Amino acid sequence: MSLSVALTKGRLEKAAAEMLEEAGYGVEKLKNKGRALVFADTEKDVRYFLVKANDCITYIEHGVADIGIVGKDTLMEGGSDYYEMLDLEIGQCRFIVGGLKGCDPLQKNGHIRIGTKYPEVARRYFASRGMDVEIIRIEGSVELGPVLGLCDGIVDIMETGTTLKENGLEVYDTVARISARVIVNKASFKLKRKEVMTFISDLERIVKKHAEGNQ
Amino acid sequence: MKQIQIPFGMRDLFPQECAVKSRLEERISRVYESYGYQKIETPLIEFYSTYQNTFTSLKEETMYKFVDESGQILALRTDMTLPIARLCATKYGNVEGPFRFSYCANVYKVRQNFAGKRNEVTDCGIELIGLDDGSDLEVLSCALDVMAALPVANSTLEIGNSNFFKMAVREAGIGKEDARQLADLIDAKAMTDVREKLQTLPIDEKARAFFEHLPLFNGEDALQEALKYSFAPSLKQEAERFVKLAEDLNTLGYQDRFAFDLGKVPHLDYYTGIIFEGFVPGIGTAVLSGGRYDDLLKKVGRDMPAIGFGVKVDYLLDAVKEETETKRQLAYPQKCLIEALQYARVLRKEGPLELVRDDTIDKPEVR
Repeated sequence: MSLSVALTKGRLEKAAAEMLEEAGYGVEKLKNKGRALVFADTEKDVRYFLVKANDCITYIEHGVADIGIVGKDTLMEGGSDYYEMLDLEIGQCRFIVGGLKGCDPLQKNGHIRIGTKYPEVARRYFASRGMDVEIIRIEGSVELGPVLGLCDGIVDIMETGTTLKENGLEVYDTVARISARVIVNKASFKLKRKEVMTFISDLERIVKKHAEGNQ
Repeated sequence: MKQIQIPFGMRDLFPQECAVKSRLEERISRVYESYGYQKIETPLIEFYSTYQNTFTSLKEETMYKFVDESGQILALRTDMTLPIARLCATKYGNVEGPFRFSYCANVYKVRQNFAGKRNEVTDCGIELIGLDDGSDLEVLSCALDVMAALPVANSTLEIGNSNFFKMAVREAGIGKEDARQLADLIDAKAMTDVREKLQTLPIDEKARAFFEHLPLFNGEDALQEALKYSFAPSLKQEAERFVKLAEDLNTLGYQDRFAFDLGKVPHLDYYTGIIFEGFVPGIGTAVLSGGRYDDLLKKVGRDMPAIGFGVKVDYLLDAVKEETETKRQLAYPQKCLIEALQYARVLRKEGPLELVRDDTIDKPEVR
């Protein structure tokens, strides 16, 4: 049976395509795409389509796609009705708590305000520390929040830390490590188990190979 | 003009869908009836406290709640199992079991907005109350017969066992909170997180290997794998019980229509034995689900073992394409109305008939 794979557009797209190519999948069309959104694999019975990160979960939960490749950051913020079967170890970064230099929001007494693009992640993190904070949703350039005095700290994704540093912010804690994950629709796993497991183990082989290469 | 809307997650069903749906319900109900289940109805509204006192991990935001005139909180039922358990414990308090009840009723859950999910679905199921796990096979047969009665090809029933995980946790000496977290990760087959979580637990290598592989105890060699990794005699015994269950199901002629997944460990504080889910191609979620819940009746006042399952009929609508019959019509001019109604009375005995007024003709005619 044929597999549909939903790939997250953008940051993860290229690295995921390279891994698939290395695993013997025919993804040339994916690498040299125009405006098309759906691509057939030239080697195997697989169909890919490119979606935004949040939509990846939606497509998987509805079973429109069997398999999705999406960042752990997106998974942590929403959805839970899928199997999360493999860590591709690409697109690595982390969720951090940041604040202005010398103003650790975790040490502040009284009312604390946290700006973030990921309110659910922030809520869970502070709840697990037993801290009662006000969370303010910001859509972009979260670093501006503390600088302009909108909030005392931020919860955000950090790759290199350059943006943070350039805006005079410091990291005070790591909330979670993040990387790209392979998620699977629950019904697809039952009804197309063989195909799904082949896809997973093909990619798992490459993950292991890379891990050995890095040692 | 402003159009009147319906609340989130609700849906109107059009005639064609209604026809398909009621035929599905008939097919399902016929199987339950043939197993000796008696249909019952319970109120759509229960006290919120009934749910609150029974389910320890109740998500209150998923319930529709409102207040009655005396200030008590009411809720729309989220399932039929609790109402039936309540009914068994209270209204049948003096009657000895076992009880075989079936139902076909709407249940309600508030789901995430804009996710394309239904908040109101029709659940058609059975509850067998008062028999221990010796009745598992009977109920599994019933579930498999229901799946076979659905007009879809290649459906499969997946069977798990919540005891297997609970036993392993006990044997390995894992604490309650850690066990709950581990169960969530294993149930989501979150392989990376399972491994990370296991790193933090002080358990031996054999136990670690067992839990690491548990999410993948499915597919053809599920039970052999489970036997291989079982690190205590009680686990081996439980795995062997499942090998026997598989043989029994094959003997009964159900081969190729069921599979095992011992890594299925949802709602640990609810299910106490086997759990199972039915899947059909084209539908991204389970259409049938059920299991054994021997501790539930105790919480509503009568200690009895119980098992049950239900089919979410609305989920099937997208997978089932049934032809609707074409209706006959009787056309008539207004001047022949009485004659037409008399003729129609005769014709209706043979099947549905629709009257159509047509003043261009002279006498009634069937189309």
